[in-house]
Amino acid sequence: MSGAGSLGAGGKRAGCMGAGGKRAGWLRAGLAAAALVSVLSVARADPPDLSGVWSVVHPPHALRTLDGALPPLTASARAVYEEHLKAAARGDRSFDGMNRCLPPGLPRLMLVQEPFEILQKPKVLYFIFQLNRLPRRVYLGEALPTDPDPHWLGYSVAHWDGDALVIESAGFNDLTVLDDAGLPHSEDLHLTERYVLSADGKRLHARFTIEDPKTFTRPWMARAEYVKRPGYEIPEEVCMDKFLKPRAAK
Amino acid sequence: MFNRISTHRVLNIGLCATLALGMLGTAAAQTTTAAAGTSASASSAQTPTGPGSAGAGRAGLASGRPRTLFNSGDPTLTLTPPLGGSRGAPPGSAPPNPDPRDFDGVWWLQGYEYLLGPAPGVPPPLKPKYMKLLEERIRAKNRGTPEADTETQCLSHGMPRLMESPYPIEIVQTPGRITFLHEVAHEVRRIYLDRPHPRHVRLSFLGDSVGHWEGDTLVVDTVGLDDRPFLDDEGSAHSTQLHVIEHYRKTDGGANLELTITVIDPVTMEHPYSYHRIYHWRPDVRPQEYICEENNRNAPVNGITVAK
Repeated sequence: MSGAGSLGAGGKRAGCMGAGGKRAGWLRAGLAAAALVSVLSVARADPPDLSGVWSVVHPPHALRTLDGALPPLTASARAVYEEHLKAAARGDRSFDGMNRCLPPGLPRLMLVQEPFEILQKPKVLYFIFQLNRLPRRVYLGEALPTDPDPHWLGYSVAHWDGDALVIESAGFNDLTVLDDAGLPHSEDLHLTERYVLSADGKRLHARFTIEDPKTFTRPWMARAEYVKRPGYEIPEEVCMDKFLKPRAAK
Repeated sequence: MFNRISTHRVLNIGLCATLALGMLGTAAAQTTTAAAGTSASASSAQTPTGPGSAGAGRAGLASGRPRTLFNSGDPTLTLTPPLGGSRGAPPGSAPPNPDPRDFDGVWWLQGYEYLLGPAPGVPPPLKPKYMKLLEERIRAKNRGTPEADTETQCLSHGMPRLMESPYPIEIVQTPGRITFLHEVAHEVRRIYLDRPHPRHVRLSFLGDSVGHWEGDTLVVDTVGLDDRPFLDDEGSAHSTQLHVIEHYRKTDGGANLELTITVIDPVTMEHPYSYHRIYHWRPDVRPQEYICEENNRNAPVNGITVAK
C-alpha cells in the first residue's frame, strides 16, 4: 500500500524534473530513486516461497555443534546421555518414544529422513511430515505463549528477518530426546530455527540454536540442509501400522 | 490379545464419546495456548451438547430416531446416542469469508453420529452378511467387549468416518491442492485438484482423493481405501472397492460448509446411499496437538508389545 503511494509520488516528482533547475533536478531524481527503492523493498518484502516437499540431506544420528563437538552437556545431563548410549549399545531403545510411535519432538522431527511438506500462508506455515503424518503449525507475527502446557512439538511462532525465516519454539514436554543417540533435554528447551532459501530455490539452509540451561551449559548451534523434492507426493504413513499383523485375506 | 485390545477400545471410546473429557484426556494438549488465547476458551466453550441436552441430539431423539438397530427394541442392539457437536462461532468472532471457493479456515461438525447410514439411527444398506456383522459388533459393544477397530489402535479413522469427527478440521487451500488437517489423531487428507487418480492406487486408510469444482461446489472423489477401518463407530463394514464422493458447498455467507457424502460399495452394500452434514465456521478455534499414541498403553517397545 505504502509502496504504491510512493510510486505515485515519485512518478509525479520525476515528471516535474524538466521544469526545475539542475540542482532541484538532482534532488528530485534522488527523491524518485528513494521512492523506487521503497517500491523495490516492498516487492522484496514478499517473503521467499518455501512451499513444497523437502528432505534433509544428511539425517544425523547424533547432533553435533557447528564445530563437530559433543553439545555442551551439564554433568547431570551428560550422565543421562551416557545411560542412553549404554542402553542403546545393549539394544534397549526404550528411552526413545519414536519406537512407540510417539512424536520425536523438535528439532529431531526436522531431521528425520522422511520428507516433509511446507504449505505457506501469510500468517501460518504448515509443516506436514511424512513421518506418522504429523503436522506442525508455525504462526507468523505472534509471540510465544508465556505459560504453555507442555506439548510434544511445543509451540512455534516465526517472523521474517530479511529473507530468513526465523522460528522460535518453546513449551516442549521432556518426554523426547533430541537425536537418535539419545541427547536429553528439559521442558525449558528453547529452539530457534533459521531457514534461508538458496538462490536457485532448490535448497534450504538451516541453523538451529538450542538453549536449555537445565541440560546445556550454554546455547549451541547445529546446522542442517534440505533439498527440494519436486513432484514427490507424500504417501500415507501411519506409524502404528508397522506393528500390526498383515491384513487377513478375506 | 482380544482382552487387551478390548480394554483399550473402551478407553478410547471414552475419549471419543465425551469430548469434554477427551479434551482434558489428551494430555493437556487440548487446553490452553496463551498466545492463541482464543483456542482455550473456544475449546472449552464449545463442549458439545450431549444427547440429553438441547441441540441436534435431542432434536433427533424427539423426532423418533431409532434407539436400537432397526428400532427393534432389543437392548443388546442399543445404538450409541448422538452428540450435539459444535455450535456456530461465538459472538465477536471474525466474520466468515464469503468467497464461495475459499474454504480456508477451521470448521467444526454439527452433531455427531455413531451410525453413518442414510438417516440418523438408520444403518447403511448393508448386504445380509455385513448387516449380521454389524449386529455382532453392536452386541459386543453393549456387552462391554467391543471389537478393536483401527481408530482405537491409533491407526486411522478411514473414510468417510474421518469426516464424522467431534474435533475441528482445518482446511488449507494451496495451488492445485486442498489439505484437510484434522485435529483428531493428527490425520491429514490431501485432495489433489490437478491430477486424476493414479492408474494403480496403493491402498491406504484415507485413500486417494481428487477434486474439482462444479460451480461453487467442490466435488471430491476417493478410492483406494484399505478395508480395515469400520465405516462408522458402530461397526458397519466396507470393502476396498469403497468409493466415496463428497460435495462441499459454503452456505450462509460462509458461516457453514455443507457436505453431502455418497457411499458406493458393491461388495458390502445393496446400493449406494448418501447423507448430509454441516460444519460450522470457527475462526475462534485453533487446532491443538492430539497424540493418540500417548494413551496407547499397549504400544510395542522395540517391536514387542508389552502389557503395562
